[in-house]
This record gives sequence, structure tokens and C-alpha cells, in this order.
Amino acid sequence: MKRNFLTKLTSIVAAASLVLTATACSSKDTPSDSGSVGGGAGTGSTEKVSSETAEERGTIQVSMGRQTLQNVTFPDGDTYEDNAYVRMTEKELNIDITDEFEANGEDYDRQVSLALSAGEIPDMMKIGSLDILKELYENDLIADLTQVYDEYASDYLKSLYDSYDGRALANVTLDGKMMALPGTSGDNGPSIAWIRSDWLDQIGLDIDEDHDGCIKIEDLETVARTFMDKNPANVDNVVGIAFAPWLTSGDPDGTFSMNSIAYALGAFPKTWMEKDGNVIYGSTTEEMKQALSVVAGWFQEGILDPQVGTRTWDDITALLANGQCGIAFGVWHIPGWLLSNVYALNDQATFEPYVVEDANGMINCKHNDATGGYIVVKKDFSNPELAIQIANLFYDTLVNDTSLLEKYPEVKNYVTNGVDGSSRPFNIEVNSYTSLLDDYVEMVKGINNELALEDVSALETRTNIPAIQRYLEGDVDADNWSRYHCRLKGVGLIQSVTENNKFAWVTPIFPKTTSTMETNWANLEKLEEETFIKIVTGDIDVESGFEQFVTDWNAQGGAQIIKEISEQVQ
Amino acid sequence: MVENRSFRSKVRTTIIYVIVLLLGLSCLLPLLNILAISLSGSAAVSANRVGVLPVDFTLTAYNKIVSDGQFWHSFMISVIRVILALALNLAVTIPMAYAMTKSKKEFRARNIYMNLLIFAMLFNGGMIPTYILVKNLGLLDTIWSLVLPGALPIFNVIMLMNFFLGIPKSLEEAALIDGASPFQVLLRIMIPCAKPSIATVSLFSIVGSWNDFFSGLIYMRKVENFPIMTYIQSLNVDIQELLKSGASSATLENVTELSNKNLNAAKIVVAVIPLLMIYPILQKYLITGMVMGSVKE
Repeated sequence: MKRNFLTKLTSIVAAASLVLTATACSSKDTPSDSGSVGGGAGTGSTEKVSSETAEERGTIQVSMGRQTLQNVTFPDGDTYEDNAYVRMTEKELNIDITDEFEANGEDYDRQVSLALSAGEIPDMMKIGSLDILKELYENDLIADLTQVYDEYASDYLKSLYDSYDGRALANVTLDGKMMALPGTSGDNGPSIAWIRSDWLDQIGLDIDEDHDGCIKIEDLETVARTFMDKNPANVDNVVGIAFAPWLTSGDPDGTFSMNSIAYALGAFPKTWMEKDGNVIYGSTTEEMKQALSVVAGWFQEGILDPQVGTRTWDDITALLANGQCGIAFGVWHIPGWLLSNVYALNDQATFEPYVVEDANGMINCKHNDATGGYIVVKKDFSNPELAIQIANLFYDTLVNDTSLLEKYPEVKNYVTNGVDGSSRPFNIEVNSYTSLLDDYVEMVKGINNELALEDVSALETRTNIPAIQRYLEGDVDADNWSRYHCRLKGVGLIQSVTENNKFAWVTPIFPKTTSTMETNWANLEKLEEETFIKIVTGDIDVESGFEQFVTDWNAQGGAQIIKEISEQVQ
Repeated sequence: MVENRSFRSKVRTTIIYVIVLLLGLSCLLPLLNILAISLSGSAAVSANRVGVLPVDFTLTAYNKIVSDGQFWHSFMISVIRVILALALNLAVTIPMAYAMTKSKKEFRARNIYMNLLIFAMLFNGGMIPTYILVKNLGLLDTIWSLVLPGALPIFNVIMLMNFFLGIPKSLEEAALIDGASPFQVLLRIMIPCAKPSIATVSLFSIVGSWNDFFSGLIYMRKVENFPIMTYIQSLNVDIQELLKSGASSATLENVTELSNKNLNAAKIVVAVIPLLMIYPILQKYLITGMVMGSVKE
């Protein structure tokens, strides 16, 4: 009886689990030639239409793959496929844009992979990574843009890409051919320590006597100790410093990471770089060990969150919002979308940004890869120059020619209401390498009324100036608060450190995914993060634990990956 | 001695009750938490202050849902999908299951069919071949891509078949002697007898197609066509992922301002209601249906 029941139970469970995995009843007649995605040979250079005007040529259909964003609020009736930006593009270039697929974030990458495996990609689409670009190129699915770029790209657009010293276009050049239009990603500076300045004032603590925004690791400790001791918000369970469970970040500005402490000690975690002619991985260096031992010391002393390792991103945000913690690490723009939660609960809260300096008083930081997000054009698409023309329209004309906004008032509405940039046909950003600081300089002039608002070049700056002026006049609302903190405080700090020549920049290697990375990277990353958390929480000894980690890391594929990257670099 | 035993059994019962209670709570608490979040003020939510009871009670989130066109659009897509899938599943499953109850003598190819079914249950073409099939059939972005690939749930066929086998054969023979055609036997005898099992199968179908978000994610290439669960899934914002992909500060501001935890919680609550309504109606059949179908004479 009992056995009978067990058999029944197991068979039900087994059958149930099978049915969960069985999605289709039959797939026998599925075409199995998904591998043959090569397509016909290219027809060589495409016909020139430059002599014709857009009107004579007739309307051209363009299908697109577009990466969208959750919850974007459009004016009534507008969608991704049909909005003011798209209508302007269609009218200016006499084309008709239809979306082949739209999806958010990772779901979008899946749609791209599915299209790739079916061998049919839209005329133009955004892709997220250089690995996908390489795959598309090797399958001969995308067009060579070298010629159309040379011919059609406006001088201004070219100057934007050139401001990256050739790094931006080099990333998308395969076998000497430009295979994509890259989005640029300039440097965001280091991870900044945002400290509650209203608390500092209340306590009367001055950690930065020369007011250059640079503090030492010890100063950070002093602040954490004082905040825990004085408990300015008068709440339970105060926490000195909180880090996300992954501790370090591959982005220099890694939010909620210990990057700024590591960088100040000369360690560049999760970074491939060259040192004395050899490729090294920043997380396995002696400096990284020192950084971990500092943080482990904090844990022992109690100024580091005792729950580090289990405290999630949202939990740390809550710590800050509740006033349990007054120090947050992150990129210059976190006041706009993260620290705004603190303001929402306490409109008296203010933050002051600091960078952490090394023993010589320098601020170590590394460069970002020059590009992020790419637009590719289908191999046999008749008018590849349209991709360049769309880029000209958005990254040159729209920025530099105000008459375009007058011609399309609905686009102007989009700009003033801040409808998200992802609603543009190409969801990439193309800015000059120095745009962050250039905009800042312009903004400060605007705030001091030395520059008329109409003469300000960047559209966003035109919104920032009046908002910050209002803030300085005492009109504090959420929007003014965040623009003031991001743009004037955060970028201002990066600007002053740059002006004082205190940045020591490191240029990392950005390797293409190697074969061993494909198979072993997930494990190595796990090994690294788990070991670091254990070291910090005192679970394993800093000295022996770190040594063991380096040995394991090398043995489990790390050494091989370094070898593969060295070959790439040469 | 006797007292001792009753004491022991009392202790045992208590322990069992505590365990069951804890298990029950572990299922219930996350739901209550979502409900509480949907009814709380957004500041309290971002400060992690909401447990199982709402803090700063407000109905703002529900008011917002009422005006969210895409939500209701997706909701209707899901309703239509459930109805279509249920009708199709039953129309295919019942005759298939009935045919499979026949012995090899009456239905000579039975074993071939049975093996085909089992084979298709154990193995399938995988995501990409299935996608290419659906694409080449021109079903992408249509409701049929959500309904047709799962039209014949084999597990349900086998369950229903076993239930049919449990119905005394004499019933069927009597009907045949009275001159009923096989089709009439199925309609007049087998289906009425198999009501509990059919209810179970229906429930599986309804819950399965209501909750499934993944096929919507693959076969629907525009948000306008998303069924409700795919839509809700797509609202989840992974800030770290966005940061990694180099999103601009403006984009991050937009996304955090609008991806409202309360609102998303409220959407989850609303999306769960239809299932909560269907369960009590079908539950009385559910348990008898599953157990009875699993034994055969």
C-alpha cells in the first residue's frame, strides 16, 4: 500500500516536472537549418543616392529593433513606434519606420539572439555588446559602414567620435571595416563618497579643511565613527558604512562598492590592465589584499555594516533613507535617482561629495571603455546611409540647430518634459569625451548669468541652470535638489580634481570575451566575490585566504585567460 | 501509561501543527507583504518599513492602475488567451485521451501514438527551433503563438486517459449495445463521468496559460501585445543592469521615478485576482480528480 502510494507520488511528480519543460507537442517539422544563416554574398558597395533629394527618392521603409525602457510616459497616444522623435525622423529623411521588435533590457538581448538564430535581422537595430557585433559580423549579416560614414557623417558627428582618440571607432572596426555606429561612454569619474553634510554641520565635524573635496581613508573612518556615535537622526541600528554584497565593481564609479577604498590603495578590482609589460587582473594584486584588510578591519571594529554580504541594494537604499547610514558610495549622478529617496523622507538632508585620495594625495581612477551600445545595419539594406543620417539628425542637428525645435514643437515638448531618450529611433548616446565637464563649465557660467540660456549648447543644461538657480535661492524641491547635487556638487568635484591635476588615470584593457572566459568566467567571478566577502567578515584570514584565492583563481582558468588576453593585446 | 501516550501524541500533533503552520505562513506572508506594499505610501516602501500591514494607507497605486491602458489591454489579452487555450486544450485532449484508452485490438496503432506522445513529452525541439517554427508559420505577434504551441498538454492527456480507464467498461458496453456510436459514448457517458478529472485538467490549463510569461516574452515582439504576466515581468527594473549597460543619468532618473514599487505590487495583486476567483470554484474537483485519475483497474 505504502509502496504503491510512493510510486504514484513519484510518477506524478516526475510527470509534472516533465510537463513543465515540454512546451511544444511536436517539433519534428521544424526547419533544422538554423545554422545556415549566412545569407547571400554581399552586393558590394551600395548604390549612391546622394544626388537625389529625399523627396525624389520616395519613402523608404526601415524596420528596426529597438531597446525600450520600462514605464516610459509618453504624451497620450504616443508609443515607441510612433512618437514625436520618430515622426520628426520620418519627415526629415522621408522614411517610414516600423519596429520589428521592442523589448526592455535583457529581454531585448534575447530578441536579438532569436532574430540572429533565425537569420533575419531588421534593417537597423541596437545591440548591447561587442560580442554580438562580432557574431553578426562573422555570420555576414551586417553591412560595412566605412564608406557611408565617411561620406555622410557630419563633421560635428565625426568630431564627437574623434574626441575619443580613435578608441570609439576602433572598437567597432573589424578587419578594417566599420561595422557599427557606436554609442559613446565617457568617463564618469571615480566612485564618490557622498556624506550627509547636514549631519556634519550639526555635529561640527570638518574633515576637509582645505575644501578640495579630497579626503583620506582615515577621514572616512572618522566620519563613520562619529555618525555612529552621535546618531544624528536618532534612529535604531545605525550603520557606519554599507557595501553591496559584491563589494567591488568593474565600473570605476561602482555604486555601493568599495572601489574608492581599493583605488586609493592602488588596487583596481575587476580590471584587466597592463603592468610592467604583463597583463594582470586587478583583483588578484597585493594592493587588493591591502584594501580587503582595511575593510576587514572596519568590520571588526564595527563601523562596517555587520550584515554586509546579505544587505541587498534596496536594503542599503533603505538604510540611507531611514537615516541609519550617512555615507553612500557611487557615481556623480546618484543623488538624482538613489539619494532622492533620502530627500523624499527628509527634505532637510543634504550631501557633500568627496573623493578618496591615495598616500600621495592623488585620486586614482580608470578610464571607461569608449563605447556602449551599437547600431548595426542589415547587410543587404538598400540605404545604409540612412543610419548615419539619423545619427546626424539626433547627435548633431538636434543639439546644434535650434530651428529644428521650432519646426517641430512636439519634439521641443519632449525635450522640456524629459521624455526618455530611449524613445529616439537609436537608443544610444553620442557625446564628446569631454562633454560632462564642458557642460559643467557652461552651466556654471549660466548660473552666474554670464551666459544667456539660449546660448547654452546642451539641452539638458538649459533645464539644469534655472533649477539650480532656484535651489540656490532657497526654493528646494525634489527636482532642484537632485540637479543641484548631481550637476553642481558631483560634477563640480570631478571638475575641480581635474583642474588641480590630481587624477592619476589608468587605462585598462577591454578584452574580447576569450574562449576560457566563456567557460570559466562565471565560476571565477563567484570565487572572487565569495572569497572577498569571507575575508571582509573575518571568516577566513586575510593573508592566507587571499593567497589561497590567487592560487585557486589562477588554477581554475585565470592564468589561461591572462594568456589569451596577452595574445589579443599583441 | 495511557496518559503518557496521549500526552505524547498531543506533543506530536502540536509539533506537526506548528510545522504545517510555518509552512503555510511561508506561503502566505510574501503575498500579504505584496498586498501591504500596494496599499502603502511610497516613502515607507522605499525605506523598507512595510511588513504585512500597510504603512501610511493609500489607494493611489490602485487609482493609477485604473488609468493604465496597457495594463488592461494586456489583461484582456490574457483573458482571451486563457479562454482560447482552454477551449483548444479540451477539444484536443479529451478525444485524444479517449482514443488512447482503447486496447491494441481496437486501435492498432495505439502503441505508436503512445510512444510518440511520451517521446514528445520527454524531448522537445528547444527554444530556438520552436521559435523559428512559430516565426515561419507567421504566428509571431499574434495570440495564436501563445495558444498553439501548447495546444496538446500530454501530461493532461495521460491523466485523463487514466481516469477514463477507471470508468467501468460495462458502462461503455451497455451504451454500445443500445446503439450509441463511439462519439456518443464519449459525449454522453465518458465526459459526464470524468467531470472531476476534466475540471482538474481545465484548472491546469487556466493556471498555466494565465501565469506563463515566457512565451509572451519570446513570441510577442512589442509591449502592446504582451499578456499580463509578461507585462508585469517587464516592469521589473534592474538598476544594476542598467548601470552596467551605461544608461545615462537622465534615463536612470526616469526609470526610478516611474518604476514605482507600490504600483508594481498593486499590479501583481490585481493580476492574481482572477486565479483566486477560479480556484475555489474548481477546487472541490481538484483533489478527487488528480487521485482518481492516477489509479487504473
